[in-house]
Amino acid sequence: MAHRFLEHTGETELELEGSSEAALFAEALVALHELIGGEEAGEPEQRRLELVATDRALLLADWLGELALLAELEQFVAERVVTLTLDGLRLGATVEGRRGKPPHLVKAVTLNGLDVRQEGDTWFGHVVLDV
Amino acid sequence: MSFSTSDLVRLAETLWEIPAGARADMRVPARVFADRELLEAILGDRSLEQLQNVATLPGIVDYALAMPDIHQGYGFPVGGVAATELPNGIVSPGGVGYDINCGVRLLVLPLGADDMGDRIEPLVHELSRAIPAGMGKGGPLELDETGLDDVLRLGSSALVGRGIGTAEDVERTESSGCLTGADPTTVSERARLRGRGQLGTLGSGNHFVELQRVSRVDDQATAEAFGLAAGRLTVLIHSGSRGLGHQVCTDYVRAMDAALAGYGIHLPDRQLACAPASSPEGKAYLAAMACAANFAFANRHAIAHAVREAVARVLGRDVARSTRQVYDVAHNVAKVERYGGRDLCVHRKGATRAFPAGSVDVPEAYRAVGQPVFVPGSMGTSSYVLAGEPGSLELSFGTTCHGAGRALSRTGARKRISGADLRRQLEAQGIVVRCPSNRGLAEEAPFAYKDVERVVDVVAQAGLARKVAQLRPLGVVKG
Repeated sequence: MAHRFLEHTGETELELEGSSEAALFAEALVALHELIGGEEAGEPEQRRLELVATDRALLLADWLGELALLAELEQFVAERVVTLTLDGLRLGATVEGRRGKPPHLVKAVTLNGLDVRQEGDTWFGHVVLDV
Repeated sequence: MSFSTSDLVRLAETLWEIPAGARADMRVPARVFADRELLEAILGDRSLEQLQNVATLPGIVDYALAMPDIHQGYGFPVGGVAATELPNGIVSPGGVGYDINCGVRLLVLPLGADDMGDRIEPLVHELSRAIPAGMGKGGPLELDETGLDDVLRLGSSALVGRGIGTAEDVERTESSGCLTGADPTTVSERARLRGRGQLGTLGSGNHFVELQRVSRVDDQATAEAFGLAAGRLTVLIHSGSRGLGHQVCTDYVRAMDAALAGYGIHLPDRQLACAPASSPEGKAYLAAMACAANFAFANRHAIAHAVREAVARVLGRDVARSTRQVYDVAHNVAKVERYGGRDLCVHRKGATRAFPAGSVDVPEAYRAVGQPVFVPGSMGTSSYVLAGEPGSLELSFGTTCHGAGRALSRTGARKRISGADLRRQLEAQGIVVRCPSNRGLAEEAPFAYKDVERVVDVVAQAGLARKVAQLRPLGVVKG
């Protein structure tokens, strides 16, 4: 599993890689935490997310969008995936994290170059965040 | 695709064109205002490819335009302008962006910087205390449902009745602080939830409040009309529609992405999702976008009120009462305007309306000199006050640049300097810095931006706007 931030003049461009589709989504959470985490405190809390989308790429966008929204509205920064299941275009996940003072950094998850694809045994994702 | 200068035709000293024939799907040419040095910088990212993508949009007329501060965005480049002919030309939420009506407002104080003595740092500190920044929530104006509806429908003027700001502030705001056609029922519950606690907050990223002094006057008569004089203190506010606008854009990009096939629209980039402006999706978006734009006008209006409160605490009530709004301009918005006998939907994504003298859309106080335009620099560098010129109507759908324009990625900026070091550098220049995040500060380092003076020179040379005054930073509160 891996992620890397690409050079993008205006926004934040993210490439993801995972050994499975679920691993790819879990890696997206790790990348987002790298962007907005760091000042959390207190006891760990959990949140449950249920998402449905019309294609895989939009499901990835929704996943990141929901996690960013938890930070914006509840100051809850997800630190790790506890469980994550994918059933077609349906995602169910429990995430663990803590409250903090996350910057309101991620305005939105864009559709610019949005992609989720499988090549051999590896899943790849690409997403541009408006920051 | 990467470009070189040989792919562009030079139409004038500061105007370049990629012909419509450069790509089979382009409906119109793509034009860039730039000098040769700025163009070289522009060629360093994918902004011109994005501009070509904009040139494929159904209903686009004349040309897809880029201002000299253009840089790579998502879908549309930042600094992009596109006009589509109504009623059936498209409207694209991505052509406005997520931060709907992100914009700037300039206030001028009745004091000179030389009158401040040792009160600059206390004033910047007080500004940082008065204006919530960074996090999503925490605005000073928690709105109930009715109050939020009023803001979405009426914009800035909804706050005047609550004792926030003045009628003159509203009058000295683009579109009088209110886009018509706003319909709160087109704004989702999630967008309302995100916006409810954020009125009067700065946000993060490149948003700021900057204390400045007028360091140079280029056009004395216009500066006087704007209430500016050499040495005077100003406050520049840069913020937008916060989470409410972000969600409106998200909602309608999705709705239009789902509807594309039904309209037979094929796009080179999914983020350009669009629909005919006359379609149900187009009408609903324009109504929701107007709500978000009105929220943004009200947001800057509320921040300006907080600035006056801070001024009152440090410099006294009389100074606060005499602190006047010069103007407020939008950077990210789509508006219906008339050019050459055509009703056009003009998308400005990181670009500023710049109507010349005589325009009925310019407040009466400025009608003889043209609409004020504010071009923020980048903390350590100057900002500029411009005035709209007739060339903007002839060449750029009444538009000019909106800032210096990024030249370096945020990651690239962080690799070159730490926030702590940048803070020290700025303070060594006499600039007081208040920023909750060292990382966020480093990402906005002055060297991450193009040379703002060069950008302003290009729009002046092209006849889109003229220079009125230069503003030097004394202190900055970053989001």
